[in-house]
Order: sequence, then C-alpha cells, then structure tokens
Amino acid sequence: MDFQSHNNTSGNKFVCPSDRQLALRAKLRAGWSSSKTNEPLRPDEQAAIISVIRRNEEIETAERQRVGRLVERVEKIKQRAVEGGPNCCRLCGDTFGLLRSTRIICEDCKKSVCAKCSVDINIRYHTSDRTREIWLCRICSETREMWKKSGAWFFKGLPNYDAPSSTNSTPTHQSASGGAMSDVLLPPRGAQSCNNTPTRNVRVKKLTIHVDDSSSSEEDTNGGGGGGGDVVDGAISAVCAVAPLTTARTPNRNSFNADVSPPAATRMQREDSFRLRTFGSIRSFIDSGERKLSNSFFANRQSSRTESNQQDYDTISTASTVTSVNNRRESNCNYTRRSSVSSSWSISGESSSGNSANTSNHVPNHNQVNLHCRELLGWLEVAVSYRESVHSLDCVMVRARDLPAMDAAGLTDPYCKVNIVTPDGMTKYSRWLRTKTVHKTRNPEFNETLQFVGVEPEELGGSSLYVAIFDDDKYGHDYLGGAKISLSPVHNTNQYRISVPLGGEDRFSNEAEMSQEWPHGKILISLCYNTKRRALVVNVKQCINLIPMDNNGSSDPFVKLQLKPDSHKNKKYKTGVKWRTLNPIYREEFYFESSPHDLNKQTLYITVWDKDIGKSNDFLGSLVIGYNSKGERLQQWLDCIKLPDHFHEKWHCLSGEHPTH
Amino acid sequence: MAGGGDPKWQKDAADQNFDYMFKLLIIGNSSVGKTSFLFRYADDSFTSAFVSTVGIDFKVKTVFRHDKRVKLQIWDTAGQERYRTITTAYYRGAMGFILMYDVTNEESFNSVQDWVTQIKTYSWDNAQVILVGNKCDMEDQRVISFERGRQLADQLGVEFFETSAKENVNVKAVFERLVDIICDKMSESLDSDPTLVGAGQKGQRLTDQPQGTPNANCNC
Repeated sequence: MDFQSHNNTSGNKFVCPSDRQLALRAKLRAGWSSSKTNEPLRPDEQAAIISVIRRNEEIETAERQRVGRLVERVEKIKQRAVEGGPNCCRLCGDTFGLLRSTRIICEDCKKSVCAKCSVDINIRYHTSDRTREIWLCRICSETREMWKKSGAWFFKGLPNYDAPSSTNSTPTHQSASGGAMSDVLLPPRGAQSCNNTPTRNVRVKKLTIHVDDSSSSEEDTNGGGGGGGDVVDGAISAVCAVAPLTTARTPNRNSFNADVSPPAATRMQREDSFRLRTFGSIRSFIDSGERKLSNSFFANRQSSRTESNQQDYDTISTASTVTSVNNRRESNCNYTRRSSVSSSWSISGESSSGNSANTSNHVPNHNQVNLHCRELLGWLEVAVSYRESVHSLDCVMVRARDLPAMDAAGLTDPYCKVNIVTPDGMTKYSRWLRTKTVHKTRNPEFNETLQFVGVEPEELGGSSLYVAIFDDDKYGHDYLGGAKISLSPVHNTNQYRISVPLGGEDRFSNEAEMSQEWPHGKILISLCYNTKRRALVVNVKQCINLIPMDNNGSSDPFVKLQLKPDSHKNKKYKTGVKWRTLNPIYREEFYFESSPHDLNKQTLYITVWDKDIGKSNDFLGSLVIGYNSKGERLQQWLDCIKLPDHFHEKWHCLSGEHPTH
Repeated sequence: MAGGGDPKWQKDAADQNFDYMFKLLIIGNSSVGKTSFLFRYADDSFTSAFVSTVGIDFKVKTVFRHDKRVKLQIWDTAGQERYRTITTAYYRGAMGFILMYDVTNEESFNSVQDWVTQIKTYSWDNAQVILVGNKCDMEDQRVISFERGRQLADQLGVEFFETSAKENVNVKAVFERLVDIICDKMSESLDSDPTLVGAGQKGQRLTDQPQGTPNANCNC
C-alpha cells in the first residue's frame, strides 16, 4: 500500500537516475533516459521478451506434464487400494491381530493401516525432532511427496497440470507465430496479468474436461457420503472469493486489449497500479489468516485469464479440482501392500501369516486378498488318471510356474502336498502325500506321480484334489500356493490334464501345513530395530512343544542368542532357565548394537538348550534368522529393517540341526 | 537471451529427471550485477561489459541437495523501471528472491526497502528472501560496509551475503543457502502442518473459519 502511493505520485521511485552505469549508458546514446518511463517497448525488445516467454512456455508445458504424472501416480496408488473393513488395513486389507500386523493410525487421514502400508515420516524426512512418531499411510505420504514435488506446498494448492494421456499442447507455438503484443507482454503463468490469448483458452478447456472426468470418478469411488458435498462446497466458496476480483478486473482488461500496440507502456503503468490494488486486497485476505482463500485464489490465478463468458465455468471447475483432489486425499487411504516392502518379496506376504499353530480363524479375511493376487501366486499343471481295476487315483504333479520367491536371491525350493477333499469338505486321508523338493527354482518340474489307493469310482464325482505347494526350509515350510481341482471329469477320460492358477491360503492349506511335523517345537520371536539405541532388539517370548530331554519327561530350557558377523562386539546372550517345562515363557529382551546397513549382512543364531547340572547341556533346537534366511524368517528380518522402531513378531519352527557357525 | 540456443541450456531445461522445481527471482536496482551473478552461477562466466537486461530472462540449473535433485529456474529481471510491469508479473511464481544491491552504490542500497515492499506486494507470503551485496571485490569503491548490509538484513529478517560475481565469491553459497531455506520451509509447511495436505483440506478448514468473512466480499 505504501508502495502504491509512491508509485502513483512519482513513478520514478524505483529508478536510479544517478546510477553510475545507467548514467554512463545514457551518455552512450543508448536511446533512453530514465526519466521517460512511459516509453513503449521497441520491436527488438518485444522480440527479446517474446523469446524468453516462449522458452518459459516450454518449461511450463513440461512442468504441467510432470505434475500431471505426479498426480496420476498418486491416483494409481489409490485405485489399487483395497477397502477392507474397520478391522483391517485400508490399503492392503490385511487384518490386525496378535500374530498379524499392528494397527497404525495415519496422521493425515486418521485411518487404520498396517505397518507395511505406512511410513514413519521422522525417518523419511530426517527431521531432528524424533520425540514424536508420525506415521502416515502410504497414500498420505505419497500425497505429501506430490505436494512437495509439484510445488503445491508453496502455492497451497495443486498447480495446473496436464493429464499424462493428453497430448502435448502445440498451441504454444501457434501463439508464438501470432506474436500479438498482449500475448507477449503478459507472462503466461505464475503471474497475475490477464492473458487473453486463444492458447490459454484452449488449454484451460482441455484441463476442464480432464477435471470433470476425475471429479466424477471421484464420486463414483467414494460411493456418496460427505465427499461429493465437500467438492461442491469448496467450489462455491472458491468462486465466491474469486468473484469480486474477476469482475472488478474485467473493464481494465478490456481497455488494455483495445489497443495492443505501442503506447502499451502507459497501459502497463495503469495496469500496474490497478494490480496493486487488487493484490493488496488479496494480501489482506491472506494475512487475515484465511488459508482457504489462498487456495481459491490459486484457482482464480489460473482461470481469470480466460474470456469472461467462460470464466465462471472455468473457475468452478478449477476450484473443484483443488478441493476434490483434497477430498480424495483424505477419502480412501488404500494401498496394496505389494510395493510397500519390497517388490520381489511382496507376494509371499500374502501367504505368510498362517504358519503358526493358531491361525485357523483368519481364513475368511484371506479370501479377499486371494482374489487380488491369484494370478501372482503362479500356476500348477497336474495330470490325473484313475485306474478302476485297482481303485487307484494317480496324480502326476507335472510342473509349477511363477511361484513366489522365498529367498533373497528370488528363488524357492518347492514341493507339493496333496490330498483328496471329499464332497462333505473333509480331507480323505489323514496323511498328506508329498513330492520331492525341487531346489532353487520358481518353475519346478516335479514330474512325480502320487498314488491314492482305495478311491471308489463313485467318489470321484463330488471330490476334488487339493494340492498345496510349500517352500522347503530347515526352519519352517512356507506356503506358496494351493489349488483345488475337481475330480469329476476324471473317470471318463484316460488322463485328465489341467493347468490351474494357485490361490492363497484356505482351510485345506492350513490343514496341509498342520500336517507338517515339527518334533523340535516352535519359538516365538519378536524383532525390532531401535533407531534411538541403534540396536536390534530381540524379544524371546516363548517356546512350545520342546522335546523332553530329562528323565522326568521334561526339560529345563533356556535360549542362547548370537548375532553374526558382528562388528560391534556384542555379547552372546542367554535367557534365564525355565525349569521343568516344555512350553517356557521368557519375554526377555536383548539388544544387539548394529546398523540397518549391517543388518542386511547379519544373521541371528538362536539355539535352545536343556540346562543340565553336572553334565553338558543338551541341544533342543535352533533357529537361524537373517539376511539369507527364507520365507517367513527373511520377511521378518526385512520387515524389521524396513520398518524400524516396531516389533515384528513371528512363530518359527525349531530345527533339530545345530547351526554351523 | 544468451541461453536461447545454448545446447547446455537445452539439456538442462529439457531434463525431467528432478525432484523439485524451485523458481527463483533476482531483483535489485539496475546495474547492481544481477545478470552477471546469474551468468556466474549458471555458466561460470563473467564479462564486465554492461548490457541491460531487456525485461526478463531466465536460466535453468539442476542442483543436488539433500539427496534430492532440485531444478532451479532462475529469473533475471531488468532493474529498470520501464520493465517493471513485466518483471513484477513473475513475482508470484517465485519461491525465493535474491535481493541484490551494489556495495559501491549507495542508491541501490537505499532502494532495498522499496524492493522488499515490492516483494511483499506481489509475491506469495511464504516466499524466501536473501539480501546480497554484490561487487564486494571493488573494495576501493565500496560505500556500503558489510556491517550496514548485515544490519539491514537483520532488520528485514532475511539472510545476508556479500558476493562478487567477478571474483566468484559466495555466488554458489547464496543459491545453495536459498535452496536450503526453501527446502526447510517445504518440510516445515507440510510436516509440521499436516492439515495443509491432509484432513484439513476436506472441509475442516472451510467450515472452521467464520462463514461471514469470505462472503463479505462476495456478491453471491
């Protein structure tokens, strides 16, 4: 305001007539004197400015496309999201529970997500204040990134953008050939002047179309609720705020356009002071703390350059972009867990959670996830024939394709477990047949015949063959995928050959898993990388079904832990001894100093021993978990590195082999 | 204009491999050395011949800062009043300002306050400013002491550097500092105020404020 009065009374306030170089330049017949501020731009000056503006147009176009790609990226993440119930992660649909993911509330959208679908921004942004953990769901964190990268953080609203699908805006060059003064003198974007070129109109129209699409699809996905209403509200209030500015501006712009050539400098002067007033008032709006207005102002900034008859329409649409984008931001914070941990790893994540003994109640929730990733678990080819004479069903496990990777090298050691499911939904045989393990491949050629005897011909009609594929590992067999194949077509053909997609866990796969024998018992381990203490925290919780070693049919178990290789000279730790039990509960924590980087090359050796007095301790079982583990162990290890400051708890089977250190 | 056909410029401008894009604006009285300052930074070149900038020009440079690629579009403005309409039009897009005066020119120093008013008038309210006293190599002709510059900067609440485009003193430092300040501001604006992006936008902010205020200026 202060400046305005100066400017109006003495237009030379900001010129320095006594400026040394300027004075020199004036002497060197440079053609102007600082006192004549109203002198119009010469043609060569116009041309120079045109060329700069044109260069800028190129950058602006690229920038709009870049922002469009950023927006699209976030939109894609949202589209991939699974909307589960209140008790499961909104992004990946994973359920929360004791042995499952822990529930995290996203700071921005206040919705529950699992640890894998969220990001601790203290870690991500390296802020010094680590006293408070701020967790964001994947969508909200990506949205923040988009706000940073697009510059929306600065302008308090998303800038204009071109959808990636839309073609490059060639009108830029059109307007260039025209070269009208009004076009040239007024900067294209990021500036307050009114730009009335056809170019601008074309582009805004294009944007409008895009916006309409996205906001309508927004309402579709939202499925009603408050979302739609908010869009409208936002748009209306934005228009309200914009209206006085645009109407007040119109006459001035018209006069400006009326004559476009030389005495433009005077015009500019007038325009200048006018703009001062306009933006002075905006300024006071903003300063009075109405942050919404800055948003709507942004909309104004884009749309006020268009023709007045089109103006209302555009203002509304642009404003609704801003608000509807915001709406979407908070609405569905969904994201498939697929890309959150590590790409090669993700699939096994789906099938991971049922390894422990007490998982039977999770089955319903899994179906949802299974549908989602059915094709990703791979394919199985089987050939089935029935020999009526001996009442024998011969099942050839031919091959499997594209099984989930289970180790860090992206390989798997698969084998099949097969049973027959009777029409009443029970497994026919208590003992599951299994193939040999094919090592180090995701595309195993089993070519192994498993024979079920005692199958009556009439049984075939309603029965099916159930094949579950597991990964063979010393410390637990991870489920890879399963398929149920109806046996009804079998008896009338010689050999029934079929290729089926592998699905996720279900009742039968759990049963197959339960049929595994683990004579050495299991151990529940919780891992957490503590960033404050820069240490791996190992919580040895409990063991079950340990082998009895003492004469009394029991054992006196304790657990020894060691991290290798160890650059921090950590001690070997051991828990206290729990006397006369096969199911000891420890809940003891141990800290191993390490860095996340080192953890990528380290392995934790856990051994369970029977304490004997007077003779050497007996070995009860071992667990090796680390960077070169497989399946669940590897996943727990990676989760622990990727999501520090969170406990990752899992049951593991103990092996009877003493790990060779 | 110099960058127009320059292949290096082409490469930098077309490069889409960056994380953030910051627009910076160099302002100040005529002949304080804005163009030289930009040329020193962007092309590492210097010429003492004075060519007045026509209206506006810019250069693009991509820098690496805090593991992020930052593309800088640095606008060089004409200091002369007659281009003021054009130059001020670009204020609103700028995230950072380099406000420059000439340590050998009292007048340019006295104008700083007016330039600040210009910034306040035209730019976004969270735009960052650095005060720069250029030509610090010309000690014999110096009329503005470092101390005076620093005091003014303190008074304005901005950071201060003395630079020499000719001797390449502090040129890079100014840009790096400005990028840092903007980066900090960016983290701050989003991380300390999640409502900006998140929940607040859906309507909380719209409904929280008194309904009468926006409508007071609106005919609908």
